[in-house]
Amino acid sequence: MNSTNAANAAAMTPTPRRGVGRKNMLERVVAVATLVLVVVFSFSIDGFATLGNLRVILSNSASLAILSCGMAVVIISRGLDLSLIAQMVAGATIFGILISSGVTAPAALLVAIVAMVVFGFLNAWLIAYVEIPAMLATLASSMFLVGLLRFAILRGEFLLLLPKSNPTVAFLAGDIVPGISMPVLLMVATLAATWFLLNRASVGRVVYAMGDNFQAARLAGLPVRTSTIVVYVFSAVTALIAGLIMAAASGAVDFRTVTNGTLLFDVILVVVLGGIPLRGGRGGVRNIVVGVALIAIMRNGMTLMDFTTQTQDMLKGLVLLTAIVTDNYLNPRDAETDTVGDL
Amino acid sequence: MAVDIDFPSLPKQRVPRFVLSPRRILADVLSKGWVESLIPFVALLCVVAGVLATTNGYFEGSNLRNLAQYAADGGLVVLALLVVVAVGGIDLSVGSNFAMSAFVALFCFHILQLPVPAVLLASLLAGATIGAVNGFIAGLLGCGALLTTLGTMITTRGLYTLASQAQLVEISSSARIDDLWDWIGFEKVLTLPVGFWALAVVAVLVLIMFRQTRIGWHILAVGGNRKAARHGGIRVKSTIFFAYVLAGVIVGLSGFLFAARQNSVGSDTGIGMEFFVLTALVVGLGGFVPGRGAVVSVLIGFATIYILNNAMINAGFRGDFVQLSMGAIIVVILAIDVKFRKNRHRLLASTYLDPVSFDAGTVEGMRGLMPDETAPKLKDARILASGRVDGPEDVLLDAAGNLYCGTRDGYLYRLNAPDHAEAEVLAKIGGRPLGLALDREGRIVACVAGMGLVRVTMDGQVELLTDQTERSLLSVQDDTTIRMADDLDIGPDGTIYFTDATKRYDIENWGLDLLEGRPNGRLLSYDPATRRTRTVCDNLVFPNGVCLAHDGKHLLVASTWDCSILIFDLARLSDGPRVLLSGLPGYPDNINRASDGGYWVALAGMRNPVFDEAMRHPGVRRRMTRHVPPTNWLFGNLNIGGVLKVDGAGKVVDAFWDAPDGPLYMITSMREHEGELYLGGVTNDKIGCLKLDKADPTWRGPESYWGGRS
Repeated sequence: MNSTNAANAAAMTPTPRRGVGRKNMLERVVAVATLVLVVVFSFSIDGFATLGNLRVILSNSASLAILSCGMAVVIISRGLDLSLIAQMVAGATIFGILISSGVTAPAALLVAIVAMVVFGFLNAWLIAYVEIPAMLATLASSMFLVGLLRFAILRGEFLLLLPKSNPTVAFLAGDIVPGISMPVLLMVATLAATWFLLNRASVGRVVYAMGDNFQAARLAGLPVRTSTIVVYVFSAVTALIAGLIMAAASGAVDFRTVTNGTLLFDVILVVVLGGIPLRGGRGGVRNIVVGVALIAIMRNGMTLMDFTTQTQDMLKGLVLLTAIVTDNYLNPRDAETDTVGDL
Repeated sequence: MAVDIDFPSLPKQRVPRFVLSPRRILADVLSKGWVESLIPFVALLCVVAGVLATTNGYFEGSNLRNLAQYAADGGLVVLALLVVVAVGGIDLSVGSNFAMSAFVALFCFHILQLPVPAVLLASLLAGATIGAVNGFIAGLLGCGALLTTLGTMITTRGLYTLASQAQLVEISSSARIDDLWDWIGFEKVLTLPVGFWALAVVAVLVLIMFRQTRIGWHILAVGGNRKAARHGGIRVKSTIFFAYVLAGVIVGLSGFLFAARQNSVGSDTGIGMEFFVLTALVVGLGGFVPGRGAVVSVLIGFATIYILNNAMINAGFRGDFVQLSMGAIIVVILAIDVKFRKNRHRLLASTYLDPVSFDAGTVEGMRGLMPDETAPKLKDARILASGRVDGPEDVLLDAAGNLYCGTRDGYLYRLNAPDHAEAEVLAKIGGRPLGLALDREGRIVACVAGMGLVRVTMDGQVELLTDQTERSLLSVQDDTTIRMADDLDIGPDGTIYFTDATKRYDIENWGLDLLEGRPNGRLLSYDPATRRTRTVCDNLVFPNGVCLAHDGKHLLVASTWDCSILIFDLARLSDGPRVLLSGLPGYPDNINRASDGGYWVALAGMRNPVFDEAMRHPGVRRRMTRHVPPTNWLFGNLNIGGVLKVDGAGKVVDAFWDAPDGPLYMITSMREHEGELYLGGVTNDKIGCLKLDKADPTWRGPESYWGGRS
């Protein structure tokens, strides 16, 4: 009798939902911080809380959001793609060179996509088959790619100018229907594709399993190598989309975005602030949206307040440091399972 | 009663002075620890060779001095990164930190007009401050190192740009000149620039720190395994904090040297430096390896990248092409290194077995005694302690008739007289106890594979006598450790003679030594009086059983794969062995004295013509071990064995075979005691006891040996 009662009692007690409430704490903190920033900026900055500015924020953050999608998927699979910006520039360069020399837009796009798929595949091959750590492999491939393009195509130049009058360029930068621009549409499409990849495609399950425990996923017989290929090809394609948007908006492909590192930093910032841990296995599209929202609002507000780029960088650095310290306070690492590989 | 042995008339056994084989040298080199540092070294050699082939006068003194001048700051930053990586972190902020420290030095020198030592101190402090921020967040708070240092990298870079833009005009218009400042920047000491000497000193200090100091060991322990370090009582967090601060100080020094040399900073100072030094570190360490303080390897990696970079720019290549090639080269070096690391043990395994043509000769002196010619006499053996002992390789009887044997699980058992039915533990030794002998004081001396020579008293006290001998000349691998102590006997003066059956294989792989067929074993001696171990005779073919002759002047040693019994003259050991008996039908194991002045020789297994033929063809055996699963290998016949009776002059006079269906297999040892023969087998779970017809029923081993002399 007693034992039955005890068993009943045990069954009645709700199992503690360990970590469920806390796991997304950083995401919530960031969401609240974003709202606070919006309120503060609305009162302190003239012209912040207008529909026009909202449209500017959306258009300007489109490429950041698209890049973050690629990076987030890679990071969830416990990888890291430091060649993302190099790929972005590469995709835009290939496309720009082709349409400048008179190739039709669909053909140019096709060539650019194929090139990106090949490059994403090479990254994944180095990581999954040659087994070079992702950080080093993508660092080296980034150097290689930028060097190759500048050497072979740009002949040492830093800048590739695109004809703004070109209908394709205008199409990529313009509005589809009044009020919704092409970049915003592509951003929404990429977010939807990311959501599908992570939540509805079987690869998504493998991605989360790899991020949680790579060895366990491999030993369970999951196709970790082919999934790695999918992940890096996906990030290469997002880089291409972001590159097209950015090139069309500014009318130029600027290789200095690779060397100064600010954009890569912003992308990592978005992913981390959104609450996706670098060790992978957690997070989703919602985290990307939250992260992008904060960075986009911050960038917009600081630009409206006429902060220099250096000041903006410094403030973003401080935000990152605050965020990881907060995250560490909210989700302290377990000293028993903490390993050296987690950087 | 014993027959005198006519030693000088016996044929000499040829023993090679040393064994040289390219395959063995390759295998031995592959199993060395330093082989992992070989790849960065080879990469450096390739780069140097490439530069030599394409550029004239690159390695002349003036150019080398020039290189050394600019190498200092990069080299120092690589060392700083090494310290952080060794503790298990990463520091992306080194480039910004470098620029900031250089700016602080210029600011203190030109604007504040401080004396140069104070400027140095300020630079170091600036570096240490950024290191301390990193260390506080990544170490004390325990946040991720990559993000933390990414944050400090961006923040510091922003601060630096703001500060340097504000002060640059004033700094460049300052006219202060200081002798010490210029000495640091431009002078040469012993033909090399001051900065290079600073790099050398810091490198030596870091090397000493990792090798000799407590904090250095703590850093490596934390980097190797944080959890183990914490459980070992190391204060992990403060160790990480210290490593970051130290790295910051080194970067600060580097920034100071840069400032003294350049006397200016620009907006691009230190940009991309973290990638450059990370590349150098990766090439040097062969991947991103925490917990290794390989200062020399990392500096080699740095030299490789630095010279490559420099030579390409000198040769007139554009920066973009250099970038392209660097990316490709890093990928190639990493790929080679990762693959080499992963497959090194496979390469080692496929080259380790190094067979040689080997001929044990024809079977001789066995007419009328072969298993098909006589009745299997061991069939009548009484079985003792069945299922109670696991693998009694050797059996030993004391004067009271108690039986001792070692077992596979590392115990020494005693089976009490008279019925020997129950096995009780005398001592737990560990390892794999093999040969046993009683010394004059009635203690058991045991050869233990994997340990060495062990002495056990009758109340179970275990004492390790020796586990090392002299290192042989011309061996790539350290062969001082006694790997497979097999059997022993004790000389009249108390010297223990024992065999190390093979220097190349552990006991579980003894079969591979047969497939190799090389002289890998040695005869050793241990003198309890001086506690000295000596190699009596190196390069014997699987020396196994050891037995002192009845006359107390000669030593018999079974050479198992050679199917022969060797004999040494104790008075002239250096003359080497002669062959007492060869052409045995099986593989001799232990040898022991018999009551009638002869000897008992255990045969662990039988030769067969097919395997004898395979022994003459090393290629067959090498291909077999590579392509055929071990269960299907050709091997000697271990299913049948027996005991040979040899007379005092070395002639086989009788044979006791076991029946094909048992009950005993693979006999490795036998002892005569009061007219009975006790039989042990390394794979048996029992001990056999055979009544002998023509034996002295009062003869006991220890008394006949020690009793007659004392």
